[in-house]
Amino acid sequence: MTARTTAGWQVVAVQELRDLWRSTKGLSVLFGFTVLLSAMAYAAASEADLNLLDSRESVGLVGQAAIALGALAALVVSADAISGERERGTLESILVTPLSRRDLVIGKLVAASTMWLAAVAVAVPYLATMGRGPGISLDAVLTVCLAGSLAAAALTALGLAISAVSYSNRASLAASVALLILLAAPSQLPAITTRSTLGSILIKANPVAAGMRLTDQVLVKQHSWSSQWTLLLAPAIAAVVLTGLAVRMSRRLELGDSR
Amino acid sequence: MITCDQITVSYGRTIAAERVTFDVGPGEILGLLGPNGAGKTSVIRALTTILEPTSGSAWIDGCRLTDAPAVRSRIGVLPESSGYPTARSAHEVLRFHGRLFGMDRSAAMDRADELLELVGLHDQRDARVSTFSRGMRQRLGIARALMNRPRALFLDEPTLGLDPAGKQEILTFLREEAIAGGGAVVLCSHLLDEVERVCDRVAIMHEGRVVADGSVAAVVASARVLGGARVDVRPPAVPTTVEAINEVEGMRATCRTGSAGRIDVDFKPNGPAMADLAHELGRRRLDFTALEARGARLSDAFLQLTGATGEVLAS
Repeated sequence: MTARTTAGWQVVAVQELRDLWRSTKGLSVLFGFTVLLSAMAYAAASEADLNLLDSRESVGLVGQAAIALGALAALVVSADAISGERERGTLESILVTPLSRRDLVIGKLVAASTMWLAAVAVAVPYLATMGRGPGISLDAVLTVCLAGSLAAAALTALGLAISAVSYSNRASLAASVALLILLAAPSQLPAITTRSTLGSILIKANPVAAGMRLTDQVLVKQHSWSSQWTLLLAPAIAAVVLTGLAVRMSRRLELGDSR
Repeated sequence: MITCDQITVSYGRTIAAERVTFDVGPGEILGLLGPNGAGKTSVIRALTTILEPTSGSAWIDGCRLTDAPAVRSRIGVLPESSGYPTARSAHEVLRFHGRLFGMDRSAAMDRADELLELVGLHDQRDARVSTFSRGMRQRLGIARALMNRPRALFLDEPTLGLDPAGKQEILTFLREEAIAGGGAVVLCSHLLDEVERVCDRVAIMHEGRVVADGSVAAVVASARVLGGARVDVRPPAVPTTVEAINEVEGMRATCRTGSAGRIDVDFKPNGPAMADLAHELGRRRLDFTALEARGARLSDAFLQLTGATGEVLAS
């Protein structure tokens, strides 16, 4: 047999990328993201034009939407990664090859992460254009790219970990989306609630809410990056911990059905 | 080549396979038989490192089962209910599988082409698997299992869903190609006729245990159902023939609904035998298309050893 020239995870990632972007799956999720973000941007820009919303607030709103919807898109893809293979009966033929479970999970993680990259590519023109008015284009793009990438990485890993232990694709998807809603909810709490110590902890410890709060603080409230950097801690820690968890759970990856 | 030594597989308190032991030598095809729930798939999954056996040990081509990566690089598997990534082409499915075995791109492409040619799918190499019939998918599954030139091949119901010509083609292919390199094959099937035709040896499992193991002839002989015969007649002649046989002292004829003219005849112990039945059929000028001693076929041994019914065999 020819010596391995490419790492196992790379082989998996390349094939998964082909499957994701060549089929309707990846494109339809991205289309859904684009439609929703466009609607949000249009509504926010219209309200800014009518002076119902400050132009900074409209950029912040679109930035937050890009983070939440982009993370959701990545989550939807990763939540199907293993449980989908299990449900379609294709997992067994992979598990009987010398490919390590770890490589399988890493390859799928890499491929699913491209959904966020595609979402960012769609969101950047909106943020740059809308941010031109108040002169915050660069800040808007940087905030969403940084906070969103960390939150999306955390959620992609979370979706994959759930998918690894789910025996049904629906269960995996439902659990993942429910968790995302739970994580995004604190960002919608009234400002008075989040000013309390408990409220602040609730936001700062939550990777999605913290990312969205950072967007609000930097783009809308004009706080400096240096004063708000602690809001990046939760997304960064969650991204590392959940990726580690997903990779660790790969050791226990099972076929699922018995006999 | 494959040594399965006292393998036990449990799911919690349920024992699926208990102290299963068999060997398969180089170039040999073993038929692993048993009714549904007998534990065949559990044994296959243990030997292919999908399940960890509760106890016992096994070796594949000299590698202990606990060395999973080494075992996996030596085996080819067609799982029982194998799925296929329907959005990929046949060539892509094989190429990807080859890459998982560490082949480089060009080696995987060449091997994929070679195997598609062998299983008769080369014309469809770039067609999406979603357009494939059940039989074509089975052939693709067999090609996938052979991608790494395995030393041990595990095939769970390889002819499932194939028409008679397709079955014949796959069995001939198995006989000629799959073991060409001196590998060993374990074949699980409910279709005993095909097992009888293609396997060198059989192991019959019942309620998690191996109840018979040996050459087809030896297993049939060991379980021989004495004192019975089978007569095939044209369906309109069934009532007359059954009635005529039942008139003979020591013989009892029955014909199951839907058996298409097949009559089972039981002989009383120390009573008449095959020769008497043949004589009686001739004397009464009863036309028949076939007459054989029951117990001469693998299916009879299977029924005797497992207590299975005709419905199980037909499933």
